[in-house]
Amino acid sequence: MPEASQPGPGIGQPYVALARSFTPEDEAALRESLKRCSPSTFEAAVQYRKTGNPEHVPAVVIGVIERFVEPDLRVKLKDADDDLRLIEDLGIDSLTMMEIVILVEDVLQMTINNEELRNLRAVGDVKTFIDCKIRGLPLPKPMKFIPIERIGAVMPIQPPFLFLNEASVSSTGANGKYRITGQEFFLQGHFKDNPIMPASMMLEALGQLAVLFLLEGAPAEPGTVISPNTIFFTGCEGVRAHRVCRPGDTLTLAIKTKRMKMPLATFEGSIRVGQEKAVIAEEITLTFGYVDVATVPAATAASPAADSPGPVPAPLRVAMKT
Amino acid sequence: MPRVFITGLGFVTSIGNDAATVTRNLRELRHGFELYPPFQRPDIPCKVAGTIKEFATDSADPEEWTWPARYAIKRDVLRSMAPHGLYAHCAFLQALADARLGEGDVSHPDTGLYAASGGSPYLTHHHHERQLKVGVTRCSPLGIVCSIVGTLNFNLVAAFRIQGASCGFSSACASSAHALAYAFDDIALGRQKRMFVVGAEDGNFDAIVPFAAMRTLSLQTDPDLASRPFDAARDGFVGTGGATVVVLESEDEVARRGVAPRCEVLGWGQASDGYNVAISHPDGAGLRVATGRALRQCGVAPEQVDYVNAHATSTLIGDVSEARMLHAVFPPATARPAISSTKALTGHGLSLAGAMESGFCALALSEGFMPGSAHISRLDPSCEGLNIIRTTQPVAPRIVVKHSSGFGGANVTLVFKKA
Repeated sequence: MPEASQPGPGIGQPYVALARSFTPEDEAALRESLKRCSPSTFEAAVQYRKTGNPEHVPAVVIGVIERFVEPDLRVKLKDADDDLRLIEDLGIDSLTMMEIVILVEDVLQMTINNEELRNLRAVGDVKTFIDCKIRGLPLPKPMKFIPIERIGAVMPIQPPFLFLNEASVSSTGANGKYRITGQEFFLQGHFKDNPIMPASMMLEALGQLAVLFLLEGAPAEPGTVISPNTIFFTGCEGVRAHRVCRPGDTLTLAIKTKRMKMPLATFEGSIRVGQEKAVIAEEITLTFGYVDVATVPAATAASPAADSPGPVPAPLRVAMKT
Repeated sequence: MPRVFITGLGFVTSIGNDAATVTRNLRELRHGFELYPPFQRPDIPCKVAGTIKEFATDSADPEEWTWPARYAIKRDVLRSMAPHGLYAHCAFLQALADARLGEGDVSHPDTGLYAASGGSPYLTHHHHERQLKVGVTRCSPLGIVCSIVGTLNFNLVAAFRIQGASCGFSSACASSAHALAYAFDDIALGRQKRMFVVGAEDGNFDAIVPFAAMRTLSLQTDPDLASRPFDAARDGFVGTGGATVVVLESEDEVARRGVAPRCEVLGWGQASDGYNVAISHPDGAGLRVATGRALRQCGVAPEQVDYVNAHATSTLIGDVSEARMLHAVFPPATARPAISSTKALTGHGLSLAGAMESGFCALALSEGFMPGSAHISRLDPSCEGLNIIRTTQPVAPRIVVKHSSGFGGANVTLVFKKA
C-alpha cells in the first residue's frame, strides 16, 4: 500500500516506475478477485499490474462496476457515456459503491478514502477519479451545493423570474432543480386553461444555471471575479424539446462547460423530469467579464471558497436598505 | 380484543421445504437426519444433523450458494444474508403465497415482523478472520449485517419492505416462541393487523458443534436413533437449521381478505426457572407456571387440551423436567392430552424451534392429525402415565399447546385452537 500513495510519473516519464513485480501468485489472486468479471476485465487488470499504464484502468473500472450491476441493467454499460449515473441509471447504492471500491482497491493495489467516494456520481466521475489517483494528479474539485438562500443572494436574476430551487456547481459544470409550481405568472396565458412550461423558459432556466456556474464555480484570474452585471445571453443552438412539462413536474437541470474564453462561455445543457429527457440544448452561450474583487459589493462577491450561504438572502437585503 | 389467526406458513426444514412435504413427513414420521459430512472427523464427537436439502450454503460467499430455482433472489438482496437468511427468505415467499398476501398488505404500516435466530457463527468467524488477516478496510461492508444476531430481521424487513413493528428476539431456544407470542400481543392490542413471525438458524458446523462442548449433543452415529425424546436411551439432541415463517392476522383482516385461516392463536404465557444458566429446573418449574398461565389466560381447562407439542429435545435432564411438569399440569386422572416431540424427526432447531413447531401445530390443526413421538423403543420411566403417542393419530385436535424453553430457564407456552 505505501507504493500506491506515491505520486505517479510526471508527463513524458515512462509508467514503468509504477509497475511492481507481478508474480504468478499475484496473477492467481487477481484471477480469484475478478472471477465474476469479464475475461477482458481480468486481462486489462493484468496489463495494468504488469505495466502500470493507466490506459488499462477504465476497462478494469467498468468491468468491476458491471460485475456489481444487476444483469438486466448491464446492457446500459455496454455503450455508456460518462454521464451514466451510478444511482439513478445503474441502481448502485452506497453499499454497492463500497463493494466496487474494495474490489478496485484490491485489483489496482490502491487505497481510497471514504470522503473521496461521496463525490462519485457518474461513471465518468469514477474513471476520472481512479485515473487521477493513479497518475498522482490532484482530484477534481467536488460539487459544491448552493442552497436557495445563496442562489438568491448571488444571482442578478430574482423572483418571479428565477427558475432554480437548488443547485450544485463544480469546476466543470452545474446541476440544479426547479419544481414547476403552477403559480408562475406566464402559465396563466401559456396556455389558456392548459398550463405548460414554455420551452423558452426551460432554456432560460438552463441559462440561469449557467449564470450561477459563472458566479460560483468558474475558475477566475487571481484577484478578480466574474461580475453578475456583465453576464448576458448571446445565443443557443441545437435545441430540442422532448417532453411537455406541467405544474408538479420537477426539472432536473444540468449544464457542462464546452468552451470558456473571455468574453464567451459555451455550455451544453439538458433537462430531465425523473428519467425522462425533456430538453436538450447543444450549445448555450453567455458573455461575461471580470472585475477586481475590491470593487464588488460584499453581498454579491461570490468567493468560490465561501462554503457558508451568502451573508444575507436577497429579500432581506432589500428590507435592510429601506 | 381482536382474535388472532394463523393464515400462512412457510417451511425450509430438515423434513421438507414446503407445507405439504412437512405434513406428509410429520404424518409418516420420516426424519430429516443424515450423517453430516463436516462432522465426519475424529475430533468431532457428534456425527448426525438434521440437514437442509435442495440448498447449498457451504461457501461464505452468498454468490456461490444454490437454492431451488422457484425462488428468484437478486444479488443485492442476497449479499447481506447469512445461510439462514436465505432459508427464511424462501420460507417467507412460501408464506406469502400460502396466506395469499399481496405487496400492498405486506409493505404496510400495519404489518410487522418479529424474528429470531442465533446469528451466523459461521459468517462471524469468516469475516472476523478476514479482518485479522487482511485488515478491516479490505473487508466486506456487509460483514456485520450478514452475521450478527439480528441479521434475520435486518434482511427480511429490508427485502420485503416491512413498515410496521420489527425486531429480533433472543431467548435461545425459546426465541421464536417469544417472537410469536409478542406478535400475538401486538395484534390483540390493536397495534398491528398482521405480523410475520420468523425463526431460522444456519444449522451448519459452526452453529451446532459448540453444543458438543456442553455435552448436550447426541453422539449416535445411526440417524434413525440419534434423536429420541422421552426414550430411556436418549443421549442428547441432534442439531438442525432452516427457517419457518408464520403469518398472524387479526380477525378483521381475515374477514376482509376472505382467507381461510389454518388455526387460531388463543394466547400464551411465560415464566422463568430462576435456577441455572443452562440446566432446566428438575421439576420444570418455570414451564409449569408458563403453561398454567397460558391456559388460564385462554380460559382453557387442562382437560380441554387435545395435544401438546413438547419442547423435549432428547437431552437427559430436559426431557425429564418437562415430563414432570406435564404430570403436574395435566394430572393423568383428569387430563390426558396426546403428547409428542417432533424434534424426534427434525432435530432441535434452537432459535428456530418455537416457530417451526408452532407451524407444525398449525398443520396438525388444519390438516387434522396429531404427529407421533418417533423413535421411542423404551419410554423413560419419568413419562409413565403420560399419553405420549408413539404413532401419528389421524384425529383432529381442537386445542393444542406448544412448549418452548431456552437458556437461562426462559419458558414460553402457546395455545392454538382449531379455526
